[in-house]
Amino acid sequence: MSTWEGFLIALVKTVVIFGTVVQVAALMTLAERKFSAWMQYRIGPNRVGPFGLLQPLADGVKFIFKEELTPDGANKLMFRAAPILAALPSMMTIAVIPFTPDIVIGGKNFGSLVVADLDVGILYILALGGLAIYGVILGGWASNSKYSLMGALRASAQMISYELTLILTILAVVVMSGSLNLGEIVESQPTIGSWHIWTQPLAFVMFVVATFAETNRHPFDFSECEPALVGGFHTEYSAMKWAMFYIGEYSAMTMMACLTVVLFLGGWTVPFWESAPWYVALAAFLAKTSVFLFLFLWVRWSLPRFRFDQLMRLGWKVFLPLALLNLLVTGALVSLL
Amino acid sequence: MVIVKRKELSLSEKLYIPEVLRGLSITFRKMFEPKITRQYPEEPLIKTDVTRGQPRLVVNENDTIACVSCGLCEAACPAYAITIDGGETDRAIEREPVRFDIDMLRCILCGFCEEACPKDAIYMSDELELADYSREALIYDMDKLKRPKAALQKRIDYVNRINTRWQTPSST
Repeated sequence: MSTWEGFLIALVKTVVIFGTVVQVAALMTLAERKFSAWMQYRIGPNRVGPFGLLQPLADGVKFIFKEELTPDGANKLMFRAAPILAALPSMMTIAVIPFTPDIVIGGKNFGSLVVADLDVGILYILALGGLAIYGVILGGWASNSKYSLMGALRASAQMISYELTLILTILAVVVMSGSLNLGEIVESQPTIGSWHIWTQPLAFVMFVVATFAETNRHPFDFSECEPALVGGFHTEYSAMKWAMFYIGEYSAMTMMACLTVVLFLGGWTVPFWESAPWYVALAAFLAKTSVFLFLFLWVRWSLPRFRFDQLMRLGWKVFLPLALLNLLVTGALVSLL
Repeated sequence: MVIVKRKELSLSEKLYIPEVLRGLSITFRKMFEPKITRQYPEEPLIKTDVTRGQPRLVVNENDTIACVSCGLCEAACPAYAITIDGGETDRAIEREPVRFDIDMLRCILCGFCEEACPKDAIYMSDELELADYSREALIYDMDKLKRPKAALQKRIDYVNRINTRWQTPSST
């Protein structure tokens, strides 16, 4: 394979993956409105396009043409940088998610559908996930508004308390599979019986809860908490800048759903069909991911918001010790057996 | 003073997860229940006998207007929406309006004009939609207000029925 060919293949993969992520983020805004409507006996958006499918496009046009406001006394540079910082990391983390096994078309092996098959994939995700919070903190601070600052403070405190649980639960999976490479983690769970959701049920539950906190989703969305903080960190944002925060949030959800599938649900493995071709594997991956994407929406429209001190208590007093214990037992069992 | 005792949570409630799942199952079931949204422009508004829409003038079967321009509705109108100019006619009632305007932007659809009318000439129709591009267009003149009696019959019957209720002698 020549360098040019490799470059071209990587380019196609990148365009496909990033295009899909942005599309999914856009469709998630529609899905959120549709599912919330159905759960409240309503119909939801259905005017733009068939079943309202073009609604995200209409929203996008609206966002672009709306007036952008910058509050007096805001730090102009940071105010502009924050939405970019919020949206970029969650889109970048998707680069290490392996969507399929090796793609073979006409006897030619194109490799797995992944932008960067890093050996330290998990570290990369955690590092960029840590960066994502800068968007929220900077946005809140640069707005020169009390509500925004409160939202930013809450986001940072929440991040610290939940990132730990997230990392410790991921570590338990890493201990089980013996690799930081996401592709190898998937390969360590080839059958439905060997999925890490069965071997690490406690870690799975804690991981899912932590992803909700990590993506600032209900019931842990204190940083935007409308009744208490108006709009939280994005109170002062309008038009496309505001939309950037939302693109960031929805792509973070997409990314976290993918990560959950990779870590606990065997990624692209198809239940009861080990030698499934790559397109079936891709479909299986997408199906599993959409279940978790639906879970994000489902939980949001079912549960009331936690109180901030409840979240802290849950994070530090329950999840952290449990995750540590889980890791200890896992490590002991892996080294003994 | 009322002392509210905090409910002790059971173990499953303290663990959150079972209760969360219970909540999720409720919202999931609700997704498949019939929707209450009315798709308004396509699905017309629900109208019953009681519907009290915009006031309209009754036109008799022989194409004459029932109004005698007595001005009672004009006086009863709390929003000063009605303007009447009377004129003479060759018919037996001798008077009929030459101008009968209702400013639909002022009208509050209270139905006082209907109650005040001694000649059963103005009724609240079942027409509910009121939208136009200018304020002038929403000052309805007589031509816009005239409706054949048959179109208002449901409301006329309803009002008659309600009125006879007060006419029956009470038991006390």
